[in-house]
Amino acid sequence: MRSLCLLLLLSLSTVWAAGQEILPFDDDGQRKLYQELTQQLRCPQCQNQNIAESNAVVSIDMREKTYELVQQGHSKQEIIDYMIDRYGYFVHYSPPLNALTIMLWLLPVFALLMMLLFMLRRKKQQQQLISSNAPLEQELNAIIDAYRSKK
Amino acid sequence: MRNWMLYTPLAIFLGVSIFLFTGLFSDPWTRDSALLNRPLPEFDLPDLMQPEQRWNRELLTGEPFLLSVWGVWCPTCKAQLAFMEQLKEQGVKVVGLYYPLPVDPAFGEHFSLGQLQRDVRQQLQQFGDPYQFNILDENRRMSMDLGVSGAPETFLVDAEGRIRMHHVGDINPRVWRQKFEPAMEQIQDQSDTLVQQAEVNQIGASH
Repeated sequence: MRSLCLLLLLSLSTVWAAGQEILPFDDDGQRKLYQELTQQLRCPQCQNQNIAESNAVVSIDMREKTYELVQQGHSKQEIIDYMIDRYGYFVHYSPPLNALTIMLWLLPVFALLMMLLFMLRRKKQQQQLISSNAPLEQELNAIIDAYRSKK
Repeated sequence: MRNWMLYTPLAIFLGVSIFLFTGLFSDPWTRDSALLNRPLPEFDLPDLMQPEQRWNRELLTGEPFLLSVWGVWCPTCKAQLAFMEQLKEQGVKVVGLYYPLPVDPAFGEHFSLGQLQRDVRQQLQQFGDPYQFNILDENRRMSMDLGVSGAPETFLVDAEGRIRMHHVGDINPRVWRQKFEPAMEQIQDQSDTLVQQAEVNQIGASH
């Protein structure tokens, strides 16, 4: 059993390390930037993997280029723009804000507003239902009073 | 008010159904290339067969051509060679951009030009040779500048050196008829009007 666990652990570690090369960096900031970028850039060849996970040739090339650009001291946005310039917006996991994608942000807000409106309206209707019926309320009060005075 | 409320769930259901139904037929591989209508990127690369001959952007501009990204390792590229050879016979200029593949990507590049030339020559003899010449994309940097994610991919470049189409996948009679022929005609029309304009300008200048 223990050996089986060990085996499982070992096999997991190789899966995790598959897309990772050991690369020398001057400082931890650059290493962090490289790791962030390779996780946020999407492999154009595979349908849903980032370039850190993928071992497609194009992902390897993109990792190399990212490393090169990080080493040259480019900023995160510059490197993302470099990739978008070649592979389109598909390559970055956060979509740009434009006429087509604005729906992604507006639709949830719109739905929330509609629900709030609906709830407020219903509450108002219920209140109206009670307050608009004054004679009924008087009648009810009279019955309650009669019931109490009996005791 | 009540009637309206009654039909809302149905309307939402129909909307979602139609959206998901169209999704069944959408192809996740087709997306607009970032390079459309942009000039071909700068490059300076050797010829695959005569490495002393070097190619660059200026040498390629002047007439429309197809830039076909391919490699002997790619079976789909092999399959399209015969049809593309027919295109060459019809007068279409096809330039190959050779996409070399490392033997094992995880262990770095092992590359022998002599072996590659032999493999290429053999494959082109066997299956058809549509290429006027082949450019060897060392390190695949040109392919990265072109946003190439694999092979085969084909670019249609016009006479001014601008990319007019980026096709991912093979070239077959159907794709050629539906996608490339209309684009080729458009380019032809544009260059015709350019020539006419130039002639008009010349006539104007000579008077």
